[in-house]
Amino acid sequence: MDYWQSIILGFQVALQWNNLLFCFIGVLIGTLVGVLPGLGPVAAISLLLPTTFHVTPVSAIIMLAGIYYGAMYGGSTTSILVNIPGEAASVVTCLDGYQMARRGRAGPALGISAFASFIAGTIGVVGLMLIAPPLAEMALKFGPPEYFSLMIMGLTILTFLASGPMWKALLMAAFGLFLGSIGLDNMTASARFTLDIVELSDGVGMVPAVMGLFGIAEVLLNVEHSIKRSVFETRIHHLLPTLRDWRDSLGSILRGTFIGFFLGVLPGGGAVISSFVSYAVEKKVSRTPGQFGTGVIQGVAGPEAANNAATGGAFIPLLTLGIPANSVMAILLGAMMVHGMQPGPMLVQEQPGLFWGAVTSMYIGNVMLLILNLPLIGLWVRILKVPYPILFPLILLFCLIGAYSLNNSVVGVLIMVGFGLLGYLFKKFEYEAAPLILALVLGPMLEAALRRSLLLSAGSPLIFITRPISGLLMLISFFLLAYPLVPWLRRKRAILPQATDEE
Amino acid sequence: MAKFNNDQISAAVWLAVGVAVALGSLNYGLGPLAAPGTGFLPFLAGCAIALLASIGLILATLKRHAGVGWTPILRGVRWQKPLLVLAALFAYALLMKPLGFVLCTVLFIGFLLRAVEPQRWPVVIGGAVAAACGAYAVFNLWLKTQLPRGPWGF
Repeated sequence: MDYWQSIILGFQVALQWNNLLFCFIGVLIGTLVGVLPGLGPVAAISLLLPTTFHVTPVSAIIMLAGIYYGAMYGGSTTSILVNIPGEAASVVTCLDGYQMARRGRAGPALGISAFASFIAGTIGVVGLMLIAPPLAEMALKFGPPEYFSLMIMGLTILTFLASGPMWKALLMAAFGLFLGSIGLDNMTASARFTLDIVELSDGVGMVPAVMGLFGIAEVLLNVEHSIKRSVFETRIHHLLPTLRDWRDSLGSILRGTFIGFFLGVLPGGGAVISSFVSYAVEKKVSRTPGQFGTGVIQGVAGPEAANNAATGGAFIPLLTLGIPANSVMAILLGAMMVHGMQPGPMLVQEQPGLFWGAVTSMYIGNVMLLILNLPLIGLWVRILKVPYPILFPLILLFCLIGAYSLNNSVVGVLIMVGFGLLGYLFKKFEYEAAPLILALVLGPMLEAALRRSLLLSAGSPLIFITRPISGLLMLISFFLLAYPLVPWLRRKRAILPQATDEE
Repeated sequence: MAKFNNDQISAAVWLAVGVAVALGSLNYGLGPLAAPGTGFLPFLAGCAIALLASIGLILATLKRHAGVGWTPILRGVRWQKPLLVLAALFAYALLMKPLGFVLCTVLFIGFLLRAVEPQRWPVVIGGAVAAACGAYAVFNLWLKTQLPRGPWGF
């Protein structure tokens, strides 16, 4: 099937009325989640996953993906108007966005961020369409050793990019692998660490773990402080950027798109890192770097383009290799598995309707977001004024219903609350939860690949090094792990942005 | 100043977790390298946790000698509030089956609205009833999620 036929097939699927409706619901909820500080796309997708059990897999994936890229749009609104990032990828937008609002330019800041998001999101989807199919074809040549090495590389990159000491990030990944091994052994079907609890036979469950670590823990941390938000009281006008604004920011948007897309593809990279890198690049290429932080439009356009392009890029490893690039993709992987799909190289060939339908729905979703965001700014501002003490019980209630409805069991709820407590302690003792989640999801796949590889090689671990692709991936992992021994590399890692858990 | 710093305490806990996981995995059998058994991966994970925790413990001890002490994790925050929320969550998990979804949710939301950041009683009662009924309508009636029913049928 050539590209045009595939795209037509995709639009045929995406334009069905029910898929359009789910795309709309997804981007609307995504924007809302992005607008509301303290609730990120990871928690939102986990919360809404059980509600998709009654719809078709295509509609479910279209909606869940819509939440992800919708959150990137919404996050900038809070950054610009309240100086609090709505979600982690919009942290950097606060720097210049809020300053623009203070100088009476909230309208152009919101406008350029919406247009930058639209342009980057659309280019990101084009990149996804062009790169994913050939990559999937190449991935068909991968055997268990290559998959094992690729997953190890993904985990290593994530731990390398994590903030704080690397031993902590690696430890979290190892703990995630252990948690992933709880339940029935998928090769011998014997139970491991289930403590005779029937519900644990299927494993700890990624959804309660994610809701606990990101949703509940976030609420526990937020209620420690009295949160008083002051929305910037100004009349928002001139949402459409002027010609000069366009001239100033077009280069930033294109650079941000390029950076975001390629960092998004990288396992362990993602929207947060891309937005920081884009801001750093904009500052570097600017003739007036000293002005950054005082309300420069390039400081809004670049990072907003980067975090949206990264969402398109992040789908590539998931859809072609079955490997999630970040926590959001890890949940989407879980969602696809719940719906009986196995993301990976065969997905494009076996379920072209689903693959191309989901991809083309992102075009439509981006258009919806552009139309939604500009006229609805007033509504988002009003929602921002809902006090947190009213909001957080509702967030908790959604978490509780979500965890219960997975298996109609209280065990899931208790697991979620337990993870909430763990997540709270992790924050207090400065451990990042993202490597844990990625390892928890990859754990069963990684174990199967490891055991099959050792079976193939009659027990020789050299199989991971002697096969060229696997060897190369292992070499990259080794290089990243060996960083503490190389002083200049350690300095480089130290200046990496403080990536937060909502990666 | 406390005797240990935060990383020393957390690394010691992780060391115990790692050793427990590795020892627990032995019960499931490691198998030969050519055909790894059920306990193989958790054993590796346990060893990795213990090894990394040991590295962390050493680094944290060196930092302790360099003067990095205990940083109070609850200083300057209203630590009672998360405790209340956690207690409410555990209570909800245990009571949702015997009491049923609607009543349990009314009590849960009402408690949080009143206890964490006290709201006026009309807001507490109205908010709790509206949230419980709204959630029941959306999840149970519309999305057909099977929420637990109490002795009174809802």
